[in-house]
Amino acid sequence: MTQAEIKLCSLLLQEHFGEIVEKIGTYLIRTGTQPLRMIVNDTGLLLDQVKKALCVLIQHNLVTYQLQKRGFVEYEAQCKRILRILRYPRYIYTAKTLYNDTGELIVEELLLNGKMTMSAVVRKVADRLTETMEDGKTMDYADVSNTFVRLADTHFVQRCPLVPEIPESPDAPPPPAPTLVINEKDMYVVPRLNLVGKGKRRRSCDEEDNGEHKAKKQKQDGESSEPPPDDGIYWQVNIDRFHQHFRDQGIVSAVANRMDQTSSEIVRTMLRMSEVTTSSGAPYTQPLSSNEIFRSLPAGYNIVKQVLDQYLTLLADDPLEFVGKSGDSGGGMYTVSILCGHLPAPAFPGPFGSRCARIFRLLLRKKHLEQKQVEDFAMIPAKEAKDMLYKMLSENFVSLQEIPKTPDHAPSRTFYLYTVNVPSSARMLLHRCYKSVANLMERRQYETKENKRLLEKSQRVEAILASMQATGAEDTQLQEIEEMITAPERQQLETLKRNVNKIDASENQVDETIFVLESFIESTVRRP
Amino acid sequence: MAGSGRGRGRAAFTFNIEAIGFTKGAALPDVACTPPPPFPSTDNKPVPLKTGEDEDYMLALKQDLRGTMKKMPYFLAVEEDREVIERYSKKYQDSEKEHAAWTPDWRRLPREVKPKKKTKKAGAKPKKTKSSEPKSNLDVLKKIEELEKKDDEEEKSEDEKDQTKDKEGEDDEEAEEPEEYDEEEHEEENDYISSYFEDGDDFGAGSDDNMDEATY
Repeated sequence: MTQAEIKLCSLLLQEHFGEIVEKIGTYLIRTGTQPLRMIVNDTGLLLDQVKKALCVLIQHNLVTYQLQKRGFVEYEAQCKRILRILRYPRYIYTAKTLYNDTGELIVEELLLNGKMTMSAVVRKVADRLTETMEDGKTMDYADVSNTFVRLADTHFVQRCPLVPEIPESPDAPPPPAPTLVINEKDMYVVPRLNLVGKGKRRRSCDEEDNGEHKAKKQKQDGESSEPPPDDGIYWQVNIDRFHQHFRDQGIVSAVANRMDQTSSEIVRTMLRMSEVTTSSGAPYTQPLSSNEIFRSLPAGYNIVKQVLDQYLTLLADDPLEFVGKSGDSGGGMYTVSILCGHLPAPAFPGPFGSRCARIFRLLLRKKHLEQKQVEDFAMIPAKEAKDMLYKMLSENFVSLQEIPKTPDHAPSRTFYLYTVNVPSSARMLLHRCYKSVANLMERRQYETKENKRLLEKSQRVEAILASMQATGAEDTQLQEIEEMITAPERQQLETLKRNVNKIDASENQVDETIFVLESFIESTVRRP
Repeated sequence: MAGSGRGRGRAAFTFNIEAIGFTKGAALPDVACTPPPPFPSTDNKPVPLKTGEDEDYMLALKQDLRGTMKKMPYFLAVEEDREVIERYSKKYQDSEKEHAAWTPDWRRLPREVKPKKKTKKAGAKPKKTKSSEPKSNLDVLKKIEELEKKDDEEEKSEDEKDQTKDKEGEDDEEAEEPEEYDEEEHEEENDYISSYFEDGDDFGAGSDDNMDEATY
């Protein structure tokens, strides 16, 4: 884990879970897998605090544990998963676009709580929706359950690994840690619940236990007096599926940019058809025949079969190879190549300027160029070209390739060619992105801390205003309260708000770039 | 021969400098002697942020999420130091912590992570440690001191019992009892009456006198 990643992880943990969790998480990332004792010793925190923090981290799938052969348990932090916290708003928003508010709230609840049982999710979401509805209307559990089932069917939520059935033997003590198992097939099986109820008022749930993994009944002190029927079956958000979705979106928009809307629709259809059948790491989708594509096109597009075929041929011939032709049965089989749609070029212009970007793209295309050729092809004056090349060289975005003319490698008789090493530049850019997000977060926290007093004051004033309005105060009184915040203070607050918003928006956007770069790097690593 | 190049006083490179683009005799760029500045001026403005409905919504989501997570029971805040002055507004702010308790599903977690209930045992432990001390000292005089100390310490051990109870973590939100009243008992462990020696008015002032300084 690079320093930048570690720093970013610790900032994220601190912002979302507090300092204790942050300390433990950072320690685990830095030092790898550790048992409980070591964590307590090295972090200097109290044993109880460490235990609580570990519970929280495990609940949110940020730390995993493993039972070692010698009988003690070791904990490992999942750095990548912690970095995903940045992307939570994007997941929630995607769920909203696909499944409306209900889906949005389901995903949000699951992300906030790490893992939950289906009945708990349904209940909470129904309550929340009921609150936002008008008085008198309540949200039915059935609607929420339906949306949940749809989410599970499209693999956006998945089951967590389960505690296996251990035959109870009174002699052998239970193992110090359960080994959780999950069967691939069962990951998306929704327990057959019959949740009857509406938001706020909870009527009794009819129980039909799903026979496969019956969990032992557990005494729950707290809200429910009887254990819920799907006790022990927890659900979590399937992050990879969301990533697949983002990737598809990226491909579709890239196609739309290169060609027209219709072809992008075709590609979207192809992707949607193979959504569930393609595993997340595959470089190509399953081949689809053009007949199938034709049948699955959305109703609005009445294009004739021949036109579709033409489009497909066009897509297949495109040099960027989005679509590949893989056979002729059924009118031609086509696959969508998931890899090449993304290249680091778009992220590049920022730090260096558009001319550098031109040079970079040129080098990408032509692979190796001499200094003079770079100037000629890019149509940039020599001095500038030189300057930019050296700048990029010093940042390691381009590298030099030596080709000696003579066996003694004399520098005066050697060709020096500039070239771009794509995976390494991608990694470098990614590293920079992590660093910039960390910087953005720090800056935001600094700004907030500087103005803490002012923020608290304005919050108090708002609270007073709200309570006064609720009790029906007059306008003059409200006016007086509002004037407690002076005009320059108001100005300061405005500026602060604007800055914080800007920084947040930049964080979101850098995260999009991070996603593109990460999936690109992953795909280059996985290529056989 | 070896130094002939240097002797002329001009740098000569081993390769043809024109190959990398510098014309003969042109000034070479300065050598970098200092690390680059942390905030270099950029001539190129960064790419403007994307704006649109989606981005605004995601922005709102992000800020909401941040706020919500701070209120969740998963957010473990470090206990602030006991407040010296109890603030009136605290009364109205503590309602948030009421729904704090969250118990994870213990079946899914390793056993060692579950906090053990120690409330009743905590009382026994400090008493044991305290009572083992007199056994280690065989000296009679020391025993008398120990007896004296025991009187003091029984009161002390009650405080410590409370403190360990608090520290066990079950009552994270309760404030620890202030220790101020212990200090009077601990001040003097000898026989002097504390009020015997009154600091006069010129206790500190006397040292300002120059007369007592050594005049060598």
